Amino acid sequence: MTSITQEDVLLILKLLDESAFDELRLETGDFKLLARKSAKGISLEVPDPNLPLEKSTGSNSAAQGVGPAIDHPAGNQGWIPIKAPMLGTFYRTPKPAAPPYVEVGSLVDEEDPVCIIEVMKLFNTVKSGVRGRIVQICAEQGQMVEFQQTLFLIEKIPEEKEPPQVLPP
Amino acid sequence: MKKISCLLVANRGEIAVRIIRACQILGIKTVLAVSEADRESLPAKMADRVVGIGPAPPSESYLKVGTLIMAAVGTGAEAIHPGYGFLAEQPELPEACARYGLIFVGPKAKQIRQMGDKIFARQMAENLGIPVIPGSELVQDLAEALPQAEKLGYPVLLKAAAGGGGRGMKIANQPEDMKILFAEASAEAHAAFGDGRIYLERFIANARHVEIQIMGDRYGHIVSLGERDCSLQRRYQKMLEEAPSPAISTALREEMGKNALALAYQIQYENAGTVEFILDQDEQKIYFLEMNTRIQVEHPATEMITGIDLVREQILVASGQPLSFSQGNVNLRGHSLECRINAESPQHGFRPSPGRIVKWNPPGGDGIRVDSHCYPGYFVPPYYDSLLAKVIAWGPNRLEAIQRMQKAMANFFVDGVATTIPLHRFLLENPHFIQGAIHTRWIEDTLLKEYERYERDHLC
Repeated sequence: MTSITQEDVLLILKLLDESAFDELRLETGDFKLLARKSAKGISLEVPDPNLPLEKSTGSNSAAQGVGPAIDHPAGNQGWIPIKAPMLGTFYRTPKPAAPPYVEVGSLVDEEDPVCIIEVMKLFNTVKSGVRGRIVQICAEQGQMVEFQQTLFLIEKIPEEKEPPQVLPP
Repeated sequence: MKKISCLLVANRGEIAVRIIRACQILGIKTVLAVSEADRESLPAKMADRVVGIGPAPPSESYLKVGTLIMAAVGTGAEAIHPGYGFLAEQPELPEACARYGLIFVGPKAKQIRQMGDKIFARQMAENLGIPVIPGSELVQDLAEALPQAEKLGYPVLLKAAAGGGGRGMKIANQPEDMKILFAEASAEAHAAFGDGRIYLERFIANARHVEIQIMGDRYGHIVSLGERDCSLQRRYQKMLEEAPSPAISTALREEMGKNALALAYQIQYENAGTVEFILDQDEQKIYFLEMNTRIQVEHPATEMITGIDLVREQILVASGQPLSFSQGNVNLRGHSLECRINAESPQHGFRPSPGRIVKWNPPGGDGIRVDSHCYPGYFVPPYYDSLLAKVIAWGPNRLEAIQRMQKAMANFFVDGVATTIPLHRFLLENPHFIQGAIHTRWIEDTLLKEYERYERDHLC
């Protein structure tokens, strides 16, 4: 089964809305959806909202990237993109003369800043969000980046301790 | 004068397509700002470049002034066209454009502010001797509203000072209604505009909504392009518009045009604008209602009878050119109708119907124009308004325009999402509509009830 898109979720909700059932539970692979009908309408629970949903819509837009939009580098398997959380100007340094936050080869933790995106004099620090090694810098200093454009590619460093695999009940 | 070589379209849907088409005619490159939900839209395929500006909700994408400015600066666009809705009437956008040396395709920020304040606009009209509907000043609370309502005589209309689109608007039939309705109107106005100020107006039962299209340049030329009649509405949302109005006498038409121009000259209005009037059909009087400082959804109705490309003219005027026509060049020819097709189910209380369009067969033929961003396979996202297409029919006279529109609607087939096409077919056959014997509440009071009955009979 291919990944579940936002559109699929809408369709599922529509089906539930028009059905005689009050609750719908759907699990496929790493995706889990629980929708309940109540007097107030439908409520939705996606246990891990970031992973499955975001991932599928994200890859959708990259694959269907229409027109001459800015490149979304694919990279090697296992490389994780750090994407722009907003449109703005991309800066690798905290201040004009300062050294860049990261270079290719730098090791970063989830909380480490990797760049700044400026929107009309508002400077937004972007954090890595992933523990790993920077393998590619995909945006250019001082250039505009789009929402969701890939800024860096990171090679994830495996956790020392594998967390126990939590299986859906 | 500043030549525009690249323009950023800060909108989506059919109006984005419309603006890109005008730019293509002018040889201007286009950058389309898109939310995540609009990356595969038709305007995204048509634009020279597409820039992602944020997630699907408008508050995080199409309503972000700073992001749109950055998108224009970062892609080398020299101008921004806001379309209608979203930021079209937010003075912050033209102000930010000025700071960044960008051209805003629309009026000046000050003109948007002046006309956005409905009480200010009313007073300006009164000062110019233009009749306005008898009404009150701002009323602070119920205690102040009651004697004012008594003075005007029931029923009265409660309206939001910052109003528009019927939000914050209520009809009170008797003093007993006032308590609840005043609170509701104020709360709605506050939610919609962040401004809960209310005023009262006398309610006109047998009314028509008629508006004058104007266009001005920075050299002080302002021209009237005739009127549109937008009386066929449901919940203050227009369903079908026509030009010219079938209900206006020559004398009233002249008076309306003169008043619209007087108001526009008073603030030296630039670019496209619309001055709205209410026609009291019993008294045969017109009253100024408000002015909209943007290109409107229904502008094609005017384009069809004047032969003037209003969006192209907007861009030329914004770049500093004088109007390409004078009042003497404006000749109204024939009659046009526009039907707005929404992704809503008229059989189910106009429930919005987003989803994948499976079949899309729009009409065509002599005198038919379709402005739309839809295509077979297009996914109608649930985040935005439900307008799918505008079908515009032109004929040498009103009856022939109606006949062409009837045929167009009969040949418009859509599958996958529910649309308002069946209701339009029903409306176009209605003898009251054909005779022009309608008013602004006619759809809700009469037609929808007949339609419900018709649907019920045809289901059995």
